[in-house]
Amino acid sequence: MKVSFPHMGNAYIPLSALLSNLGAEVIVPPRPTSKTIDAGALHAPEFVCLPFKVNLGDNLRALQMGADTLAMVSGMWACRFGYYGRVQHRILRDAGFEFESILLGREGVGAVYNKFRDTVDGNLTLSWLRAFRAFKRKAEAMDAIEKSAREKRPYERDRGSTSAAMDEGLRLVHEARGLKEADRALDGARELLDGVELEDVMEPPLKVAVLGEIYAVLEPSLNFDIERRLGEMGIMPFPVMSVYKWLFRPLKTDPSILIEERRARRTARPYIAYVLGGEEHQTISGTINAARNGYDGVIHLYPFTCMPENICRAILPRLESDFNIPILNLCLDEHASPTGMTTRLEAFVDLMLQRRRSRSKG
Amino acid sequence: MSYYRYFPLWKTLLEGSGAEVVLSRRTGKSLLENGVRHCVDDICVPVKLYYGHVLDLKDRVDSLFVSRVVSVEKADCDTYTCPKLIGLPDMIKSSLEGLPPMIEFVVDIQNMSLKTSAKKLAKDLGARAGTARKILSRSLDVQARYEAELLRGLTPEQAMEKVFEGGNGEHEGAAVGERNVNIALVGHEYLIHDPFISHNLPRKLKSLGANPILMSEVPQEVLEKELCRYPEISWSYEKELLGAASYFLGRDDIDGVMLIIGFACGPDSIIGEIINREVRTPLSPPLTTLVLDEHTGEAGVATRIEAFVDLIRHARERQ
Repeated sequence: MKVSFPHMGNAYIPLSALLSNLGAEVIVPPRPTSKTIDAGALHAPEFVCLPFKVNLGDNLRALQMGADTLAMVSGMWACRFGYYGRVQHRILRDAGFEFESILLGREGVGAVYNKFRDTVDGNLTLSWLRAFRAFKRKAEAMDAIEKSAREKRPYERDRGSTSAAMDEGLRLVHEARGLKEADRALDGARELLDGVELEDVMEPPLKVAVLGEIYAVLEPSLNFDIERRLGEMGIMPFPVMSVYKWLFRPLKTDPSILIEERRARRTARPYIAYVLGGEEHQTISGTINAARNGYDGVIHLYPFTCMPENICRAILPRLESDFNIPILNLCLDEHASPTGMTTRLEAFVDLMLQRRRSRSKG
Repeated sequence: MSYYRYFPLWKTLLEGSGAEVVLSRRTGKSLLENGVRHCVDDICVPVKLYYGHVLDLKDRVDSLFVSRVVSVEKADCDTYTCPKLIGLPDMIKSSLEGLPPMIEFVVDIQNMSLKTSAKKLAKDLGARAGTARKILSRSLDVQARYEAELLRGLTPEQAMEKVFEGGNGEHEGAAVGERNVNIALVGHEYLIHDPFISHNLPRKLKSLGANPILMSEVPQEVLEKELCRYPEISWSYEKELLGAASYFLGRDDIDGVMLIIGFACGPDSIIGEIINREVRTPLSPPLTTLVLDEHTGEAGVATRIEAFVDLIRHARERQ
């Protein structure tokens, strides 16, 4: 079985570990580029949200690379994401590809569990447990590397050295086989990151909360790697979400994530009274928390026509004045350009610097 | 947004609680433009329209009635309406200035009964809570009568006239005739029946000699039977679209189906694709998709409808 799945940040690292431990061959499509998005947009409905088009493009590439099984999560939510797998796989079949689908969520846990009966030698339950352990270990390693790179980047002496170290570290973790090797890879990655030369910065860097639709925030190919861009401009970005939290939230194994969720809902309640099915509570509560914790600004990312985030987009101006914090709304679609993004980020940074200066004077 | 679907219910509820109901003016150019100006740029047209209507009303009323429709079905699994309907009052509250106090009416069948919402409404309007139950049951009666009229094939306007004014709602036989071209309209009622945004689509079809068949004529049981054939959908209203499309596309006395969707509508972008790919078969009648937004020109709509009707006539002659 040759399994593939669409990209979501660095989620491919733990997911590959999970699937390869289940005896499947994993096909990781190259990171999405504008070509991937164009290919996806060609086959996708006209005004479906951008992640649909990117995922579809990823799946197309994977099928061209020889994948025979496509995995996707799906479910019954108010957000469109629950239908991605169903509609995408149908589009791909109509385009003439033949493959098997694994729709996690729609088919039920049992069906997915049993899918791997043929690929696993020996005990299925044990393999699942082993696979899950590898998945968790690699997810933690990935999260640790991302976090440390995020904290180092604004202080680096040579622009780009942190990102290079991070990419190398992530590669080590991805290629590690077995738990011991994964641990060693994490140590290696830490060493690489520690080796990045830092310089003294006069002022503490600007702090910006990055939030919005989860895929737009976490997938660097969609947001032109905003985290790296900000870091290299000397700004400390704080994403409200992370791939790690995204992977472990539905598994309900980590209570801290669940508590955080509940807290976010409570903070957002005065502005959004009901669950809308997306990350709306994270966006609203993230903005409020950013203002309370003295951040310099908030960047709100969302794909064109995203339903929950568009509602947030209508509410955010109110938060901007209620909590006195600047917010930059960036709408992403297949026509967005890196230059436009840079210009807006630069203008926003100038605005935040000016605010900080006038504040310290007053 | 829920005017064409629930207005009889709202009206009886509000009047029963001692309020006077003031309606916004019909959609027009300036109303829509006003809405677009105050709304998020890339949200769907119906929300922009709603903003326009709220702005139209805000200086003329003492309080504003806004419905929050969260779920409308009791089912085993979670069902929702569109996220925008759920978040509508939040959006209005946060992005418009100088609004009169808002009366929110929550419809969330899965988690709370209508009675609770009705009691809250009565309290907001200063009526006795004890009367709420009676008012609600009367309102539901009116709503049921309205829906029955819709089932008979009346347009929402005719049906409302009939329910409220006891008029006979002059009903030209919508019987499926031999020579007529029967065109089924599948789409949200706030698009199809808004004369401005749909450019009077049903009437245009009539003037071309075609017979528009509305989705509201399809009884609930039929929809449910059709829906059994497809995997579950969690959006209640879009489920109706899918069911209706599947019903119409499987009949041979329907000559064509028009799918009407608003630009940037989230659920419809998915449902449209499902209808196109899962429901349509080589044997089903022709299906066309009409995307409407605030820039759609009347001439463009007219041309496409004419072409569609001509195509159907032409195909029939050749047989």
